[in-house]
Amino acid sequence: MAPGAPATPLPLGLLPRLLAAFSGTTGLVIKLVFLSLANAMAVWAATVLVRDSRWIALSVLVAATLAIDSVYLSRRAVPLKFLVPGSVFLIAFSVVPVAYNVNVAFTNWSTGHLLAKEEAIEGIERSYLAPPADGRSYLMAPARDGRGQLVLILVDEADGSTFVGSRVGLEPLRRDAVEIDENGAIVGTEGYQLLEADELASLDTDLSAYTVPTKDGAAIRPEGFETAVELRPTLRYEADTDTFVRIEDGTVFRDNGKGSFVAASGEELEPGWKTRVGVENFTRLLKDPLVRKPFFRVFVWTFVFAGATVVASFALGLFLAIALNLPGLRFQRTYRSLLIVPYAVPAFLSLLVWRGLLNDEFGLVNRLLPFDVPWLFDPAWARVSVILVSLWLTFPYFFLVSLGALQSIPSELVEAARVDGAGPWQVFRRITFPLLLVAVAPLLIASFAFNFNNFNNIYLLTAGGPQASDQIVAGSTDILISYTWKLAFEAGKGQDYGLASAVSIVIFLIIASISALSFWRSRSLEEMR
Amino acid sequence: MFTSGRLRAVAGLAVAALVAVVAVSSGSSATNQSPTIRIWVDNVQKPAIEQITSAWASSKNATVDVVVKDFGKIRDDLKTVQVENAPDVIVGPHDWVGELAANGLVLPLFPRAAVRALFPTYALDAFSYGTAVKRLYGTPFALENIGLVVNTKLARVPTSFADFERQALAFKKKAKGNIALAVPQGAGGDAYHMYPFFSGLGGYVFGRNKAGNYDVSDIGLANPVFLKNAPMIDQWNKAGLINSKIDYGTGKDAFLKGKAAFWLTGPWETKTLKESGLKFTIVQMPKIKFNAVPFLGVQGYMVTKYATDHGVESLAKDLVGSYIPSTDVQRTLAGANGRYPANVQAGKQVRDPVLLQFGKAGVGGVPMPNIPQMASVWSELGGAWVKATRGSGAIPARVAFRTAARNIANKIG
Amino acid sequence: MRTTWWRHLVAGVAIAFSLFPVVYIVSTAFNADQSLSASSLVPRDVTLANFRELLSGHTTSAGGRTLEIPYVRWFANSLLVATAAALLTVALGALAAYAFSRFRFRGRRMGMMTLLLIQMFPVFLAIVAIYLILLQTGDIFPFLGLNTLTGLIVVYLGGAMGVNVWLMKGFFDTIPAELDESARVDGATPAQIFWGVVLPLAAPVLAVVGLISFITTLNEFLIAGTLLQTMERQTLPVGMQFFVSQQYAEEWGTFAAGVLLAAIPVVVLFMALQRFIVQGLTRGAVKG
Repeated sequence: MAPGAPATPLPLGLLPRLLAAFSGTTGLVIKLVFLSLANAMAVWAATVLVRDSRWIALSVLVAATLAIDSVYLSRRAVPLKFLVPGSVFLIAFSVVPVAYNVNVAFTNWSTGHLLAKEEAIEGIERSYLAPPADGRSYLMAPARDGRGQLVLILVDEADGSTFVGSRVGLEPLRRDAVEIDENGAIVGTEGYQLLEADELASLDTDLSAYTVPTKDGAAIRPEGFETAVELRPTLRYEADTDTFVRIEDGTVFRDNGKGSFVAASGEELEPGWKTRVGVENFTRLLKDPLVRKPFFRVFVWTFVFAGATVVASFALGLFLAIALNLPGLRFQRTYRSLLIVPYAVPAFLSLLVWRGLLNDEFGLVNRLLPFDVPWLFDPAWARVSVILVSLWLTFPYFFLVSLGALQSIPSELVEAARVDGAGPWQVFRRITFPLLLVAVAPLLIASFAFNFNNFNNIYLLTAGGPQASDQIVAGSTDILISYTWKLAFEAGKGQDYGLASAVSIVIFLIIASISALSFWRSRSLEEMR
Repeated sequence: MFTSGRLRAVAGLAVAALVAVVAVSSGSSATNQSPTIRIWVDNVQKPAIEQITSAWASSKNATVDVVVKDFGKIRDDLKTVQVENAPDVIVGPHDWVGELAANGLVLPLFPRAAVRALFPTYALDAFSYGTAVKRLYGTPFALENIGLVVNTKLARVPTSFADFERQALAFKKKAKGNIALAVPQGAGGDAYHMYPFFSGLGGYVFGRNKAGNYDVSDIGLANPVFLKNAPMIDQWNKAGLINSKIDYGTGKDAFLKGKAAFWLTGPWETKTLKESGLKFTIVQMPKIKFNAVPFLGVQGYMVTKYATDHGVESLAKDLVGSYIPSTDVQRTLAGANGRYPANVQAGKQVRDPVLLQFGKAGVGGVPMPNIPQMASVWSELGGAWVKATRGSGAIPARVAFRTAARNIANKIG
Repeated sequence: MRTTWWRHLVAGVAIAFSLFPVVYIVSTAFNADQSLSASSLVPRDVTLANFRELLSGHTTSAGGRTLEIPYVRWFANSLLVATAAALLTVALGALAAYAFSRFRFRGRRMGMMTLLLIQMFPVFLAIVAIYLILLQTGDIFPFLGLNTLTGLIVVYLGGAMGVNVWLMKGFFDTIPAELDESARVDGATPAQIFWGVVLPLAAPVLAVVGLISFITTLNEFLIAGTLLQTMERQTLPVGMQFFVSQQYAEEWGTFAAGVLLAAIPVVVLFMALQRFIVQGLTRGAVKG
């Protein structure tokens, strides 16, 4: 067994000593405890999955548990021991959602296509009931007849005639056999036992499905506990051909393979259902003139916006980190803390505040400046504003990161260069900056990707507007994600998740290619020694 | 060292931990015998709905489970919720009806004629939707619309639109920083608040077909009558009557500080107006070429399709279709929001002078179209107004609205 | 460079740029008007009412009724979730970064690229998937279901391995491997080397990642808003949405007050961690 602490001298400090103390035997115990807990949870989960007969999930669970156990119980696979904890969460909450979205992109999930097909058929049957031309509506009270069967006591709303309705049909009832109070509610019947109010709820399912057939396929159906109405279906579902037929004129509505029943005339029944539609969403993107016409302009602007934001924020953040890096600078800690504040305020609020500040007639910015700039209303200035505000939001992050990264540059390199007679700018250019760039390059790429997809900054500030000179739907500050969001949620019938997923996949592929490309070309991958 | 000792230790600990986990998480949940009806409301409606359902629920031997959600999330979550957690009844504004009905998420209601008669036709219409057959999908309980709030110390209640224009512009000239009319637009535009001007010039959103349903191919932004009157917008812009740089906060601020004599706003500002200490009257915007009617917003309760899945369909329909329409209930529900009740009888009992004035300002108003295609309209219509009333850089109104109409047509597809 | 006046000037300008909107937000928080468009920096009506309202836990609705607003609860929930998420994110990320830095194994470069690329997927579409996943896990483990803070923390950990790992790996790379070697020669296990030797030396980058993670989690409201259903479980940004969710009736004053109070722990945390971030270590002694 390993000794309690290594013999190499360690930097002093309570924390490292504590950490060292917990290695060794204690560390082994901790590892076993975690592993046992994980296994216990897996066993518990397995019992639940077995109970629910979820075999696929069960096999995934078993495979994963076995894999994790073998990683931690064997001597080898050391890198995996470090990678497994984070990867478990990564797969569960980052990878799986991406896979899910890929799945959604191949469906027609959108307004009118949310339910499953059977639910949609039920929904259509329900919403295409109509009162017949001479249909009546009734005051109703559920009751039991002499044999204990459920019947409905009905009072015609129009002429006050009274009936008792059963599943067989309507039968007239003597008017004086029904007692109606001054509010118009049925309170007593002769020959039938009215149901008590507190019994009604338990008979709900029977009551909701109760029908009293009248003529021509119409039937009286309860509406709640006090009303009944005569309704007739206007459509008939033919299960063998999977079609709906309109009773009145025989129009046939067929399943169009895209989640709706459609007639030859194009008339569509609502609701539709959610179904797989193959690459329909992707081809729509390629063919829709709303997408094709402004695509190039929007794409270029997205690139420019993300790039300018990252470069400017990094430059400003780095400059400030260096400027405030002097040891012993007065107020150093205060300066740094104040510069972090924009990062601490939620971006959502900051963006709305900036929107108010940049109002060109009433906003504070123009009031403080000697001239008026049409910040958010002129297309060109709106682009500048969007970058400026993004700079404000992003530079504290690079300031923070640069502060940390500057510490990792070995001071003896800098000293050696100074001794050799290099001036501060040369030191920066030749030593500090390249080393910094290696450390920060992936962050720059990640920030570029984040801003490429930065829906919030654009939408809250300008909503993609103002309208560009070519007057089409895409505004002058619309980036790919904000424009396509508009297409998915503010066009057609709105709420098109299938299209939105397809779009996000396309954008993701674009960003991933750009990132991968810049990666292969940058030296940082070569630096991975 | 992969010893059997280690394996045994792990197995033993696993069993022990398993037992502990089982012990901790076992615990039977008692099943509730009486049927439960789940209602999704926002924070504002919660006390009201709890109050009115307490008597109703006990008489039916049912339990009411009131779940509070952020207003917008009621609709969003309804689309992704699982059956076990789904609501049976929800509160919602009428402009959700089209989308919810097209998704098959709400049940049609067929109240008796006597119940229908309790409400103004347009309120029921607002909650109706259908492509071929039109159905009622909810029971309204509150109405709202904007009105023209006149600061009677700074201006007189206008007798005509020309009078209004004269007064507003004169007031604007009186001091630097004065605004002629506080109507919110801002960079994003506000088609809702600008609607009286739109309707007053002959504009409409969607026309109707023979069956009385909205016809999405008939987009009224570019209808000939409106386009003929549109140059008036350019005049207003040049004179400075309407300025799209004014956003909601700026306009409100200006009115409350006496820098605007006229404010176009709605009953949500009742408390602010009363506490401001200003003397004011609320009227409908005077007729321009047509009556300058506002958009009407109607709030109501709907029964979801999950009520059937839960076996409480009749119970839910009883609540929404029979109980909620009654006068006292309507008064309570609308009162919680500080709005005019939809039930006509309850409406007659309204005593609050501000609310009464807002009510009068809404006469002849048009409910916002509730069809899903409205999603394509708002930003275009608002955007057209923003561009046309921009001040010095404005686009001629005819061009702006024609472009908007074309874009809407393209978006609807 | 020993002249320091220009540094103070730069700091002053940068701080003015940084704090200008923040001063405005502060002003809004003390303003009874509840509007975001106040015409001046100094509010017309300075008041503590917004703060009082939040801390009292009650507010009045339009209809005059009293509504419960558990602000303190939200604050506590947020702090709990952010702290736990930050600590665990640093731990998980450091573990992975160490592996990428010290070990050579198949798929190493691919793995690092994947980490970077996975995070480029827009979050708001992943939300429905996450909701469904937690729905399922909640069936099995009640403490990991919807509307649980532990469930939320676990979801945030899905993003723990991302660009953070790159940042930490870069720093670990500058810690000489000779230290690891000498410890191993002394008989230390990889775990001991990690926890006892390398990690303490990486304090600056751990502090940076911890702070970034804390801030990001504290302000996150999309995922939290989807997963947390009841008021007592909500975190601060989600709860505060209540004040601005009614169009035209937004209470910006109360909202600003609420988020300002939430910014205080961030600044405090930064001030406390500054020491770790900028401690100058002399590692040159061991570097060959």
